[in-house]
Amino acid sequence: MRLRHLACAAVLAVALPACAVTAGEHASILDAQTLRIGVKGDQPGLGLRTGVDTYAGFDVDVAYYIAGELGVAREDVEFVQVTSEEREDVLIDDEVDLVLATYSITQLRKTVVNFGGPYYVARQDILVRADNTDIQGVEDLAGRKLCQGAGSNSANRIIEERGIDAQRVERATYSECIDLLAVGVVDAVSTDDLILAGYLAEAPSAFRLVGEPFTSEKYGIGVAKEDVAGCEAVNRAVTQMYQDGTASRLLDKWFGDTGLDLVRTVPQFEGCG
Amino acid sequence: MRAVATTDRAGTGPRRAGGASEEAPPAPRRRRPRWPRRPGTRGRLRLLAALALALVAALFAATHLALERARDGLDVIGHGEGRKVVATADLYFALSDMDAQMANVLLLGAEHDLGAGRDAALERYGDRRADANRALLHAAQLAAGDPVEEQNVWAVMDGMNTYERLVAEARLLNDADDDPAGPPSQDVIERYREAADLMRRDLLPKAYNLTLDSGATVRSTYEENSAAATAGIGLVAAAAAALVAVLVVLQLFLRRRFRRRHNIPLALATAGVLVLGLAAVAMLQRQSELLRSAKEDGLESVLALSRARAISTGMNADQSRWLMDPEHAATYEQNFLEDAQTVVFLVPEDGDVPGNLRGYTTEVTAAVPRHDDYPGRMLGLLGEEIATGGGEAETRAQQRTLRTFAAFLRADERMRDIAREGDTAAAVDAHITGPDSVEAVFADYEEALIDLTDLHLTTFDSSVDQAEDHLAGWNAGVIAACGAFALLIAAGVRPRLAEYR
Repeated sequence: MRLRHLACAAVLAVALPACAVTAGEHASILDAQTLRIGVKGDQPGLGLRTGVDTYAGFDVDVAYYIAGELGVAREDVEFVQVTSEEREDVLIDDEVDLVLATYSITQLRKTVVNFGGPYYVARQDILVRADNTDIQGVEDLAGRKLCQGAGSNSANRIIEERGIDAQRVERATYSECIDLLAVGVVDAVSTDDLILAGYLAEAPSAFRLVGEPFTSEKYGIGVAKEDVAGCEAVNRAVTQMYQDGTASRLLDKWFGDTGLDLVRTVPQFEGCG
Repeated sequence: MRAVATTDRAGTGPRRAGGASEEAPPAPRRRRPRWPRRPGTRGRLRLLAALALALVAALFAATHLALERARDGLDVIGHGEGRKVVATADLYFALSDMDAQMANVLLLGAEHDLGAGRDAALERYGDRRADANRALLHAAQLAAGDPVEEQNVWAVMDGMNTYERLVAEARLLNDADDDPAGPPSQDVIERYREAADLMRRDLLPKAYNLTLDSGATVRSTYEENSAAATAGIGLVAAAAAALVAVLVVLQLFLRRRFRRRHNIPLALATAGVLVLGLAAVAMLQRQSELLRSAKEDGLESVLALSRARAISTGMNADQSRWLMDPEHAATYEQNFLEDAQTVVFLVPEDGDVPGNLRGYTTEVTAAVPRHDDYPGRMLGLLGEEIATGGGEAETRAQQRTLRTFAAFLRADERMRDIAREGDTAAAVDAHITGPDSVEAVFADYEEALIDLTDLHLTTFDSSVDQAEDHLAGWNAGVIAACGAFALLIAAGVRPRLAEYR
């Protein structure tokens, strides 16, 4: 009897620390059989909803590649449409495993989520109508009507931080800004060059990219804060994507015809944890 | 374990009369035991002795294994990968400084007596190239066996060759121009721009990613190791506890069956196991704690600060580029701000993050006197180190680093103001000459940053050394102690077994 008690005590003594170790671990994307990935649904060229559960764009293709590198087949990837405001919450609440949604890495966001990548460093640029030859740089926006999407900071950067006297027009989304630009209500739209290139690819003859980029927008892959190992695996996948030429091919596929100066070398990662 | 099938021979074995305990043998009137294979006193004594000896072996194995694991962990973090990671962190800095020096060389043109001067910049360029090669060697060793990382190392080597070819061409053109200090000719600028783009867009990111990846290797090694160490401590504790229990049972058994009040050798063995078990668990826990300190307070801070230094060097290069290449000045200024924010990112209390360089410089300057109670949030590579704080020496070094960083930003602001007024020569002067020049203030900042890094490197080294000291002598000690336990158990049991002969 006593020996049996001892045996139990011994088993407990061995098992307890082992239990403690497993309890501390969060489910990692490394062990995932399926992946839920948050993408944009209204961003042509990056993440655009094309059917009930289907999405298309650069972000979507990168998401498929990373899922593949993590050992998850195409059919086991489930896309979830997220808005800009939701991106942190869906990761914190474990509603998605990854976020690829023109998700800029910032020091503040890094305090609540992990960022794999960036998989691309976009820069703020300016889109004008194709027939507009006056605007050649950010300084030429003085006195012009500049449209920005709600919640965006792009026009403020030009007007307040750069001190250029442009007239700010605000609309709910950048798609609405593009519509205003097409009909001539505004003179320019300024935001990330990849986003602008996505609109340009839809109507190549209507618009022109000014091509005077400023500021860096590091598009990261959002991973849960606890999943450092998963974030590191995402970084290895992005490295691989640039090494095997997939990144270059995907950039050409979505933005090749826009005249955008595409960077085809692996970006400097942000670091996990 | 073999059950000894002997029956009690009444009177031959010393047995306590009227044994009512659970271990009591069958009632004396019964001629044959109900359970024929149930061992008798001698058998049980043998069984318990054998169990105790087996547990001594288990305790030895568990302790030995835990010691080996602790030693492996120390080797990997303290000497192997950990050291190499520190070395690869130098790669980014070396490359970045090569580029900063080359920008100075071209900016200084034919003027040999400005500040540190062109020759000094060239010499430093050569030193950094040697550093970069050395760091690449370590990176190659760390990457061995990982094709993705190996290819990355190769790409950096190739890129370095291309970069050197481009700057050699730019220098040849520059020397042929024989210009005074100031922006060099268009040909030189274009050749250098190509080299600087290669450095910034291609080489530096890859070098940075290599450091991150070797940091990831250390992290996963550490985590595997610390999980194994926790399990190891559990095993040692369990083996020691089980052994103590068996020894106590053996002691009680002898007291009942053989009417011995104490069995000195067994008592000694019990005390010895208790002491060894407690000491081993305490030592192993201390090992885990020291390894954690080596990694978190040492290595991770060293890596963060090395990155901060490398990025700061890039900021310094962007100042030279800003002066040299007015056409792309806005981009270089933006790069400078973004890099500065990677080093120290301030979120003021009202959440209004300054968006341009002037606002940022003002905010950093305001934060200097309040480095340990900044009302907003202090983020970034250096910022998080400062926000974390540390010992007295560290806090003082952090304060000095932040103060010199702010001074560097203010010197930068002065230089840009002079240049904006149109006096390029005076701006180059403010950049390079005198005790208040950007270069001089940057050197102060760099020195403060290096001193702070060295403090953490010392933490790393002393934790590893301490852990090694604690481990010294344990192998021999465990062999001796477990051997002694076995002998004491034998000495305690043998005379009682002999009574049956």
